[in-house]
Amino acid sequence: MIAQKLKHFQRETLNNLWQFRARNVFSVTIICLSFLIVGIFVSLSNNLQYTAQQLSQDMAVVFFLAKDISPADQEAIAKELENSPLVQKTQFVSSEQAMEKFLTKFPDLQGVVDNLKMNPFPPSLEVMLREKDLAYEEAQPFIERMNGMKGVEDIQFNKDWVEKMQSLSRLAKAVGFFLGGILILASFFIVSNVIKLNVIARKDEIEILRFVGGTNVFIRIPFLTEGVILGALGGILSLLLLFIVIKLFPVYLGSSLGILNELINFRFLTFSQSFALIFSGAIIGLLGSLSSIAKFLKS
Amino acid sequence: MIELYHIWKQYQKPDWALKDITLKVNQGDFCFVTGPSGSGKSTLLKIIFREIFPTHGQILVDGRNILRISDHKIYRQRRAMGIVFQDFRLLFHKRVFDNVALVLQVLGYPRKELRRRVFNALRMVNLNHKMWEYPTQLSYGEQQRVAIARAVVNNPNIILADEPTGNLDTELAFEIMSLFSEINKKGATVIICTHDRELIRHFGKKIVFLYKGKLLREENI
Repeated sequence: MIAQKLKHFQRETLNNLWQFRARNVFSVTIICLSFLIVGIFVSLSNNLQYTAQQLSQDMAVVFFLAKDISPADQEAIAKELENSPLVQKTQFVSSEQAMEKFLTKFPDLQGVVDNLKMNPFPPSLEVMLREKDLAYEEAQPFIERMNGMKGVEDIQFNKDWVEKMQSLSRLAKAVGFFLGGILILASFFIVSNVIKLNVIARKDEIEILRFVGGTNVFIRIPFLTEGVILGALGGILSLLLLFIVIKLFPVYLGSSLGILNELINFRFLTFSQSFALIFSGAIIGLLGSLSSIAKFLKS
Repeated sequence: MIELYHIWKQYQKPDWALKDITLKVNQGDFCFVTGPSGSGKSTLLKIIFREIFPTHGQILVDGRNILRISDHKIYRQRRAMGIVFQDFRLLFHKRVFDNVALVLQVLGYPRKELRRRVFNALRMVNLNHKMWEYPTQLSYGEQQRVAIARAVVNNPNIILADEPTGNLDTELAFEIMSLFSEINKKGATVIICTHDRELIRHFGKKIVFLYKGKLLREENI
């Protein structure tokens, strides 16, 4: 008996989908575009998050030392670093090594350095921190303590960049959810109205089903399944479109933006994000049809 | 048994479609409700079927007050009733077979049994050769017979028919009435609204006369 009813639901759902295919395609398109917007921003956010992670992997603090630092002070600083649990590796870079590095990176500026007639680069200690995702607040007291030591002149810490990148990633996600949220809400109403039109078109059939003893659940299920299929289909199509966008966008952009290319590069959604997107589509379809059929059956 | 107590129905003030109808139809009765147009025959059937509610009064079907059954439980009552509407209410986008099968689909009949029953019901009304056609391809009388097949396909306890032979020739009308009579002999209660005096004379066991919403008289033959 249940198998027969399931077959009936399957047949009715497919009939509904085919019979009203034009307006069903319309609602799938709307859901698809709404989710594409969310997908693009989530993908962008994924990329920013990835860049932030890359940056935090080689998170280093550079302590610039005074040129005339005494060996005792230098030893005290080295000892302090050695004893700190946050420090993974320390490397001393002398003034000469610093200049050498600079000239390797910027050979065109050789003349400028020569004109100075002195070495402008201070010696430094490059310190790799142990925790990859070390919070700025945790590293701060250590850095301040080191800054107060005799012989330390300046500090450069790239944690700021990591945090900026993370903020940017959060912002991209928030914008995505805000814009996508509005569009998803709109698509909810569109699905709801499309299903309502389908329900109205089948008004006579629903009435007859009620007269011959059909329960509300029996009448409702094909419409709900229809909503879920429309929503999930919209979600799946948006993922496909997102995939195409991600493949085509770098080709369109070329390499004209230099370093910015890396930042606005898109990274495809993770498995759980993709699943969540399809699932949300199905839920929106379900809620849309639930609200329209509920109103109808009540009346 | 169907019992109506002091049924009043008003669609629009100040006219009453039914006025204080009290009536008992016993299990297994073959009852005709007759009267001129506008006398309230269809309204009476709609109320028994609970398509509409009376303004006043109570209705008991097999001892249950159907006016007190909630909307989401009324399907149980309706499954025990077969109804032939005056306007047939067929689905024109579905084939004849599917129109009749709808009742059994609701009940979850297995496909094989469903096919057998639908075929038998259509054979009874002499339409088995047209089961794969659409109602639009059928004549008015044929559409009416599809509606009758749908009403009887699940062997309901109660059959309500509103002018079921209104568009049929005399010969076919008698055939259809014989069909209702056979179903009635198996124990079903049949209530038929009709103008046709010839049919009433031939088949009637219990006749209810309505006039301007009032129960004029009851006759048991």
